[in-house]
Amino acid sequence: MKKLVSVALISLLFIMAGCSGSASGNDEYPSGNLEIVAPASPGGGWDLTARSLEKVLTDEGLVEQNINVVNKPGGGGEVGWKYLKQKDAHTLSVNSSLLLTNNLLGQSELTYEDFTPIATLATEWQALAVPADSEYETASEFMEATKNNPTDIKVGVGPGLGNDDHLSLVQAASEYGINPSDLNFLVYEGGGDVVTALLGGHVDAVTTSLSEVKDQHQAGKLRILAVSSDKPVEGIEDVPTWKQEGIDMVFPHWRGIMGPPDMTEEQIAYWDEKLGNMVETEQWQTVLDNNDWEGFYKNSEETEQFMKEQHDLYETLVKDSGLVE
Amino acid sequence: MDISSFMAGLSIAVQPINIIWIILGGFLGTIVGMLPGLGPATAVAVLIPITFGMDPVSAIILMAAIYYGAMYGGSRSSILLNTPGDGSAIAATFDGYPMAKKGQAGQALAISAIASFIGGLIAVIGFVFLAEPLAAFALEFGPAEYFLLMLLTLSAIVALSVGKMVKGFLAMMIGLALSTVGIDTQTGVYRFTMGIPQLSEGIDFLIVIIGVYAIGEVLYNFLNIDDQKKEKKKVGKVWFSKDQWKRSRWPILRSGPIGFLVGVLPGAGGSIASMIGYTTEKQISKKPEEFGEGAPEGLAAPESANNAASVGAMIPLLTMGIPGSGTTAVMLGALIMLGLRPGPLLFQQQPETAWALINSMFLGNIALVIINILLVGVLVKVLDTPAKILYPMIVLLAFIGTYTLSYSTIDFFLLLIFGLFGLMMKVLDIPIAPLVLALIVGVDMEQNFRMAVLSSNGSLGVFFQSGVSITLLILTILSLFYPLIIKLVKRKSDKLSDDEQVYKSS
Repeated sequence: MKKLVSVALISLLFIMAGCSGSASGNDEYPSGNLEIVAPASPGGGWDLTARSLEKVLTDEGLVEQNINVVNKPGGGGEVGWKYLKQKDAHTLSVNSSLLLTNNLLGQSELTYEDFTPIATLATEWQALAVPADSEYETASEFMEATKNNPTDIKVGVGPGLGNDDHLSLVQAASEYGINPSDLNFLVYEGGGDVVTALLGGHVDAVTTSLSEVKDQHQAGKLRILAVSSDKPVEGIEDVPTWKQEGIDMVFPHWRGIMGPPDMTEEQIAYWDEKLGNMVETEQWQTVLDNNDWEGFYKNSEETEQFMKEQHDLYETLVKDSGLVE
Repeated sequence: MDISSFMAGLSIAVQPINIIWIILGGFLGTIVGMLPGLGPATAVAVLIPITFGMDPVSAIILMAAIYYGAMYGGSRSSILLNTPGDGSAIAATFDGYPMAKKGQAGQALAISAIASFIGGLIAVIGFVFLAEPLAAFALEFGPAEYFLLMLLTLSAIVALSVGKMVKGFLAMMIGLALSTVGIDTQTGVYRFTMGIPQLSEGIDFLIVIIGVYAIGEVLYNFLNIDDQKKEKKKVGKVWFSKDQWKRSRWPILRSGPIGFLVGVLPGAGGSIASMIGYTTEKQISKKPEEFGEGAPEGLAAPESANNAASVGAMIPLLTMGIPGSGTTAVMLGALIMLGLRPGPLLFQQQPETAWALINSMFLGNIALVIINILLVGVLVKVLDTPAKILYPMIVLLAFIGTYTLSYSTIDFFLLLIFGLFGLMMKVLDIPIAPLVLALIVGVDMEQNFRMAVLSSNGSLGVFFQSGVSITLLILTILSLFYPLIIKLVKRKSDKLSDDEQVYKSS
């Protein structure tokens, strides 16, 4: 009899446990702590994006659950995204165009289709800059000189070929009728080193994020020839866009967020609501301003479409660049 | 220099809250610097979420204090346990650990604190007067100049390996070979990564340092643990003798400016600064044979240099917004988050912020020398800790430190592999420093060489073009052959007059 009671008790316990487990699994999302993966070391762009998200979502009371930022650096995002792939919907990760290019360059098996698009959040713009005493006054002059003599003009880029800094100039060059694989790139370790090299006159031009060179331009230490935005950028209205220079391109260096594969519609809708509200807050606007980012919010549906377009664009650019056959 | 901004900065730096941050940061830096594997970059990174709520000026003061605090702390474990916590603390093992073995641990700790202090002061003064011209000087360094600077650093290996030159060069070759692992930045080709994504950014030299030094040391001691029980270690006085001070003061004064200059160059940093400081002193010393056997000047010189370098690294950060080291890169990210953008406009738009930081570094160095001297008495107790407690602790710290580098368990395997490797090197009596040194500078050395040659369209003449590169070349040649020249000169003067020789060396 005693035995029977204990067996019954235990089975009751199991049933209860089962019930509560399934209840939290199905009905409510999120049901526990949330995790945002920064697929890079602390201090970098992805890390800052992840931490800003965490801070704004928490401070504004948009998400009640605990949000933790997890750093998983390595392989240009590969390590962090592999980690994301095997997690459930409580883990999200920051991303950027490297998600597309890693695969296109043959460096990764992962594709954008392996994940659930959640949102595109912000963008930076790309800039082409020359030393303050350079002979090139306009982007057109620079492109013309490059067209005539591509190997003589050294362009600094970092930290690796195939990134947005590199591919934005690839696109501009091929729009101008230059074979991008003829361009003479020197690859530095990072954006900072590229600027140092330009200020020291060790390269003829650099292609990099606008934020790396904006202050230097304002201080008159170098000259930005063109930005990749659709309209002139606040604070440096004297710098033309590529469009104004007659080259038809707008090149965002976007940052977004995605989830593991197979998220449910409810889960995606949850983030559409939360992130849609978040980008309207003043605090998020401050984050954008501090980082020289621009709001670029697209919800999950728009992001899915955007990723497809971006994938096709990058496929062409990577081919044009001569990095793959 | 603008006196009114200087005074405004000083008044910000002496606000009680900022003084607290300086002391707290310095203390924290000392602690993380001491623990093998935990370095200033990790400490600053961990603090990022905390600094979110802070005033940007206080935040930069706190982070800078951690940075140079770690330079003080880094040598503690080098001296006591022969396990440097960071690249810039490696040189402190050369003479610091032998001093501790000779029963002079107290003196060694005190002298390194004083050397760091003076080096730091020299650099802060240099910062006040020379920040802008030096920032311009740093820009002169193109790929060719950087390559030659790395070459000069590698020539230190000759100085380190006197007596076992072949083994030293062997270790260097292994280090250079290891540095080729990872993505080749010029072409994007993956080299020796064996399909492991964690290897794509190369082998982190900190893992190698922790492995070959900390784990290697523990394993090596495990082999002869029975012999050690019998001897009771002496720790000596907690203050250095007059003679030790006499021997150290000039090396400290010479190495401070050297370290400062190297620190200003983006990418060079404390490891190179301390190594160049050490070799310079060894090469010009009248008693080079005492280096490596516990010469106080061999400890004082690199300690002065690496602390000066950490102050120098703030110059490119503040004047150009360019991070010169791993730690300043993390700091830059955190500052941007706070809405403070270091760069060419900082001194124009927010001069009091910049000067507050500079003044805080001055106060911070004073606080740190006091903290570190007070700690000497406590730290020497580490040597009394029984091996069965001490060594497991070191292993534990080594694993924690490794994990914080990239939060990956794959690194544990690397740690163990390099631990065994370190043991093997110790057993075979192969010097370890050349390997680590070559690994640290190897990547940049190769990339800069290739960029230099690419930009000159294949001509090697690029290495002889600028005044800076010719100076570096001459220094390298001097560094390689100076001992030889001195020996020849000495032999001659020996023959001429024995009396004079006696006079010289006394």
